[in-house]
Amino acid sequence: MGLLTILKKMKQKEREMRLLMLGLDNAGKTTILKKFNGEDVSTISPTLGFNIKTLEHRGFKLNIWDVGGQKSLRSYWRNYFESTDGLVWVVDSADRLRLEDCRQELSSLLQEEMLAGATLLVFANKQDLPGALSKEAIKEALALDQIKSHHWCIIGCSAVTGENLLAGVDWLLEDIAARIFTTD
Amino acid sequence: MDAAAEISQESGFTGESGAARIQERLQKRHQERIDDAERRKEAKESRSVAEEKGDYFFGTFNKERESIEDILSSCSGADRAVLTQKLEEATAKLLQLQKFLSDSTMFLKPYDLRQAQAALQKLQTSLTETREEGLPKKKFAFRTRTKAKDKSSAPEADTSPDAVTPAESGTSEVDGSAASVQCGISNMDNQCLTKTAEEIQKQDVLLSHLTNCKVHLFGAPSTLHLKHIDSCEILCGPVSSSVFIDQCKNSTLAFPCQQLRTHNTTDTQVYLHVTSRAIIEDCRGVSFAPFSWSYPTLEEDFAVSGLDQNLNNWSQVDDFNWLAAGTPSPNWTVIPEGDRRTSWDP
Ligand SMILES: Nc1nc2c(ncn2[C@@H]2O[C@H](COP(=O)(O)OP(=O)(O)OP(=O)(O)O)[C@@H](O)[C@H]2O)c(=O)[nH]1
Ligand SMILES: [Mg+2]
Repeated sequence: MGLLTILKKMKQKEREMRLLMLGLDNAGKTTILKKFNGEDVSTISPTLGFNIKTLEHRGFKLNIWDVGGQKSLRSYWRNYFESTDGLVWVVDSADRLRLEDCRQELSSLLQEEMLAGATLLVFANKQDLPGALSKEAIKEALALDQIKSHHWCIIGCSAVTGENLLAGVDWLLEDIAARIFTTD
Repeated sequence: MDAAAEISQESGFTGESGAARIQERLQKRHQERIDDAERRKEAKESRSVAEEKGDYFFGTFNKERESIEDILSSCSGADRAVLTQKLEEATAKLLQLQKFLSDSTMFLKPYDLRQAQAALQKLQTSLTETREEGLPKKKFAFRTRTKAKDKSSAPEADTSPDAVTPAESGTSEVDGSAASVQCGISNMDNQCLTKTAEEIQKQDVLLSHLTNCKVHLFGAPSTLHLKHIDSCEILCGPVSSSVFIDQCKNSTLAFPCQQLRTHNTTDTQVYLHVTSRAIIEDCRGVSFAPFSWSYPTLEEDFAVSGLDQNLNNWSQVDDFNWLAAGTPSPNWTVIPEGDRRTSWDP
């Protein structure tokens, strides 16, 4: 039995998933995580290292890792790739000036071998802002249509209002579950 | 010496009222001594708790790290079944160690945290290398399988969420590029510029490429971005979420906000009200003082922004390029009280 098969078996027993949230600094990762978990979002500081949340959702045990996106922290992202089932890429839809940065960071992530099996959910966050780009515009700017290596999906959301956070996470869980718990 | 004994002894040599006075003074001195000792004890205790926790952390962390290293170094030459088992064990241990680190971030100093993260990264790399050396085939088998599957289902995955997504809100329109207009001011020299509450309330505001300008933003925007700002004075009402600054120099800024994120900025003064934290990255010569600008509707705008007017962490600045323990960052300072701006008249 190979290592991955064993890990799969182990996870199958616990119905456990590991989700990794990444994105540029200020995208709203920590706010999404806390809002999703029903916590106060007004006290959130820029993330110096990372946060981990374990929560139950739809019968799954989710281990969610939220890693700081500040430039000087990005080289540490790879510390968290191991065993990732789902990658949540968070975008500040109103930050037009850094969309190119955002595209580059995502595209280099998708080339990482350790993330090869992961499902990708892109959250086009901050849709509550009047200047936010639509999820279609973000899809184009990030060239998502060119991704052939991963299952992916983009969802427009707002961490402040909570809009569509559930829809995004549910899609992600469904996709992962179909892959790791029912196949083989 | 026992305080009670001291008092009774001294009172024996003085008259009634004098004795009372001395007694009072002694009592006071005694209390001060007790308080002092208490303070010292508390300080010592909290220091040693922090040190103990740090010691415990590194003791455990290093032990675990070594045991993973041992497993990895015992991998060379092992046969496939043994190797698989060893790698599995190393992976599980590494994940545990990661979790341990994340649970410990609360009391670790930023510098120690970085050290530990770097150590984890090294372990991760050698785990990956060991696996690649020992089990190259397995990995490719897995990748090919997912890839083949993805090809057929990726387009479907892209379209399916639309079904679960409620109809897009008013912000997204047919033509993405023309759909939304950002509120702001760009490309100005030597100007005095003002925006009113009606213009910026709940908006995402961008100020870019301004030189020698004075900008007054009255009102409570959702968020504020400043980019390429040179020799300007920018004053803004309460910003309900973050202020994001990039490439700003020789300027004076003042605003309340929830988070402040400052990048590539030099020689700039910030009069700040921040309810969570301010951070700097790749900055030099940035100095901070409490927000002191005021205008007639400031209170109302605070209410609109949802910011707590009584909570201001303006002096707690994290420098992402300076996470060394103990020594303060050379990249930012507090503006001495005597040097702070007190008048903001136009
Ligand atoms: N208007 C609006 N603001 C948001 C939204 N999500 C997050 N924010 C704000 O954006 C700022 C940054 O949010 P964080 O959650 O700290 O961002 P992050 O991605 O975790 O950033 P790092 O920790 O530096 O990587 C905060 O001031 C949030 O209040 C949103 O959906 N709408
Ligand atoms: Mg964060």
